[in-house]
Order: sequence, then structure tokens, then C-alpha cells
Amino acid sequence: MPILDIHQVSLSFGGLKALQNVNLKIEQGTTHALIGPNGAGKSTLLNVLTGMLKPDDGSVMFDGKPLLDVDSYDINQLGIAKVFQTPAIFPEMTVLQNVTIPVFAARDGSFRLNMLEGYSKQRPLIEFAEEQICELGLDKHMHTIAGSLSRGDKRRLEMAICLANKPRLLLLDEPTAGMARHETEKTIELLQGMKDGITKVIVEHDMNVVFSLAEKISVLSQGQIIAEGSPDEIKGHPKVIEAYLGEAQV
Amino acid sequence: MHNQQSFWQLNKAVILFALVALTMPLWFPLINGYSGLDTKIMIFCIFLVGFDILLGFTGYLSFGHAAFFGIAAYSTGLMLKNFSDNIIPAIIVAVIAATLVAIVIGLLTLKRTGIYFSILTLAFAEMFHSMAMAMLQTWTGGENGLTGMPTPMLFDIKMQGSAVFYFSAIMAILMFYLAKRIERSPVGLMMKAIKCNQTRLEYTGINARKYKLLAFVISAMYAAVAGALMVVYEPFVGHEFLGWHQSGEVVIMSVIGGVGTLVGPMIGAAFMLYFENVLSVDLGEQWLLVLGLIFMFVVVFMPGGFMEAVERIKKRFITTADSE
Repeated sequence: MPILDIHQVSLSFGGLKALQNVNLKIEQGTTHALIGPNGAGKSTLLNVLTGMLKPDDGSVMFDGKPLLDVDSYDINQLGIAKVFQTPAIFPEMTVLQNVTIPVFAARDGSFRLNMLEGYSKQRPLIEFAEEQICELGLDKHMHTIAGSLSRGDKRRLEMAICLANKPRLLLLDEPTAGMARHETEKTIELLQGMKDGITKVIVEHDMNVVFSLAEKISVLSQGQIIAEGSPDEIKGHPKVIEAYLGEAQV
Repeated sequence: MHNQQSFWQLNKAVILFALVALTMPLWFPLINGYSGLDTKIMIFCIFLVGFDILLGFTGYLSFGHAAFFGIAAYSTGLMLKNFSDNIIPAIIVAVIAATLVAIVIGLLTLKRTGIYFSILTLAFAEMFHSMAMAMLQTWTGGENGLTGMPTPMLFDIKMQGSAVFYFSAIMAILMFYLAKRIERSPVGLMMKAIKCNQTRLEYTGINARKYKLLAFVISAMYAAVAGALMVVYEPFVGHEFLGWHQSGEVVIMSVIGGVGTLVGPMIGAAFMLYFENVLSVDLGEQWLLVLGLIFMFVVVFMPGGFMEAVERIKKRFITTADSE
């Protein structure tokens, strides 16, 4: 059974059909890339998965549970985390505080009235947050204010935040956008390094990133899935070449 | 030994505040403060600490907190007048009344952010103000205010003079301590995360809306305790307790003192009340002009308020000590 099952999802903004009858199954433990030209509906699809946009039609099942009409925070509590195009962190807080938040979210759920508990005294939880930070190579910056980190480190911190409440599905919206070559390489390594069990859906323009990470690729164009397959199948797929290059010639 | 140290470190601010507050009757007259003003300062410390839980932690600027202050004051007045001259049931009823109103207003206003939230809270407060002036005149006394309360009692103690001061000071210390505890708790962490990045917080599995409402209601409860104590301090409730001027004053006090520091807004309150009542004797009505200048100076040069100045001085001392 696929961990994520998107069935006949459609969404329009006014007259624009952003998604048309999209069907997509993501298998547990795989890295699945979504590619396609600008405006194809890739980010829109991710936003449907995180509860930010409600589709007009269709259904989304995550691990057997329906996702539509669930609030963003509950979707995260179910085990879906999202890495944004521009790193979304808590800039005025320290790196450790940034990662402490998801650790408490994992323990307490979306809301708990524990106003008298000192959070820094919860040693096992804080230690777990510290481990996450070390794992992503930010140990030197434990008490740095997050906003002052370099872009690459902000991305690492965001990953640490996402991984700290142990998601089963990680959505990545162009994780290497705007990065220098060596930072991109590092991000690829980082994502390859955490292959243990976490399913990943990655939206990416950089084909180098896509082909080094993805086991399966789906191609979106004008709100529809036009091709699906392994990286090798996609490389030579005529519809894909047409979608990227050919519209003017048709 | 280690535990003692950390207790001192954790509660340094509360202990210092307690020392300053409880000795106030001794030193306050030396700087021309009259007794009674010290009580008012303590009461506003409560109001401002609570207000900072909303503005300082979550970043939501309410221009309507006079509503909770005023509702609590009227409730206390009516309770003292009609039910019992004991202040304990009066304060409890006042806080419950303001809390219920805060839940309703919070649910409606927190759907919006930024300027829209501020305007909505202002609108609600003005609604209560006009209700007190017209519809509920028979209860509130309208333009003349609510008068005719008996001398408030704390069981057998007459709440006058220094009794009111110490009662208010102890309440202020307790409520400051509680605010500090909230700041150190996971709840405080989530509230501060709302100010930093609400979207990320929601995508990290946290129901930001509930934490915002909680901050709003807690700050309203602090305002309510302050409002109730104002009536114990002076058995009179005027309609201006509910007015936008009162709401605005709290915002100015917070900004001058240092938003988000808990201590800063209390200093802001003490400074403004002292200025308004003592220093303004020489300046007369011109003091508002001077206050305006101070406010502008703070916003332009020290956006972190008095607390930023304190931090800068601390830093300078530390660096000069290091270089020596």
C-alpha cells in the first residue's frame, strides 16, 4: 500500500486549472521527484498536501487516513513535514530553541497547557534536540541566533526542525534553489544520508539534484501528470521533452 | 549549592523586583513620590506584565485592553456595592467576567493579524465604552462614574493606605513570577515562536491559534486583576477606564520600557506614572509634549526601550572590564 495516495485531485484558481485530475501514488521509503516547467502545479500540489490549499475535487490519503479538511498542524502531527523554498525557521531564537519546538510538539501534540513546566529542564528532550542539531552538523551554532546563520546553515536548521518530530513523509520544495554549487552538493549528501525509512517528495528544477536523489519521477505540465517512471525512463520520454522544449513547435 | 545558584539565576528578576517593590514606601517619598502613587505603580506593573505576554511574546498589538481593565473595575465596583465589601469575591468575579469577554473578543479578533487585529480590538473596546456611557448607565453611572462603594475589606483588614499598597505589591510580585514561569515553559516558547514565524510553527505541528488565544486571555486576566485593584485602591470607576486613551497608555508604557522583556514594561509604567504625577507638577499640561519627545527619542534611537539602554550599558561595562 502506498504511504501517500493522491486520487483525482483538481484545483482551479478562477479560470486557471492549476491541477487537473492528478493521480499519484508515493511508495513508502522512496524518494519521489516532481518536475515540470514553471507553473505546472508542483508547488500547488505540495500546498494541497500540507493543508494550505483545499482542492475542488478528489481525495488524498496518507497512511490510510484522509488528509483533506485536516489543519496544517494536524497534518504535521500525522507525520508530514515540509521544507520550504526559502528556509522557514524562527530567526529571533537560538538554534537550540528552534529545534526544541518540534521536540515538544512531538511530545505534547498541537496544544498543551503546561505553563509551569520549565522547558530547558526537560533534559532528555533537550538532549534529543541537541543530537538532531549535531547530526546536521550545526553543533558549533547551538546557541547562535538562527537569523544570523548562513543560508546553507539555515537550510540545515530547517531540516533539523523538520526531522525532530520524526516525520514519515518529508516534502521538499526546491531545497537547493538559490544555493551555490558546493552547497547544493552538500544538500544532496544530506538528503542521501537520511534515507532510512523517511519517504521524500521533492520538487526541484535542478536536474542534477533530481537524478542523483530520485528513485521515481513524475512530470507535471499544465496541472496534469504527463509521465511517470524511473529516472532513465524519464530522461528520454518524448512527452517530457515536448513539455520542456516543444510547445512552440506543436 | 548548584541548585541554589540556579534558583537565584532563574528568579533574579523576581527577587530584585520584590525587593524594590516592598521597600518602596521607604524610598519613594525621597524622590517626591506621594503614597498612593506607589500603589498605582504596582497595579500598572500587573497590567503591563500581562500585556507583554501578548505583545512581547506573540507580537499581537492590542489597542483594546482597557476593555478588560474597565470591565473588571466595574464588576469589582458593583460587587463591593451590592454583594459584599470583601474584595476577594469581587476580584474573582471581576477576573471571570473579563476572561469570558476576552475569550469572545479573542476568538473574533485573532482571525486577523497586524493592523487589522489592532483596529478590531480598539473597536470592541470602544463598543464597551459606549455601552458603559449609555445602555448600561443605570449600572455604571455613565458620565459620572460608579461611586458609593463601601470601604473595601480584606476579611477583617480595612483596605486603605499601606494595606492596599502591600496587597497590590504582593499581587504584582506573584503575577510577575507567574509570567516568568510562563516565559520559561513550553507554552512561552510557542508564544514567542508565533512572533518569529507563525507559518513554520503551524507546519511544525503546533496549533498557533490556540496559543494566541491563550496569550490574549492571560493578558486580559492580568488587565482584569489590575482593574479590580484600581477600585480597591480608590473606590471609584470612571468611564475613562474603558477608553482608548487607557489602551494607548499601556502601549506607550510597553514601548518606552522595552517590549518582550517583561521587566521593561513595568519600568515603563513606573516611569510614566511618576512623570505624569510628580515631574509634571512643574510642567503643567506641557508634560504631554515632553512625553511625546521622550517617546519619539526611544522609538528612533532605542527601539528596545529602556531595557535596550540597560543592555547597552551592561555590554559597555563588560567590554571595558575585559580590555583592562
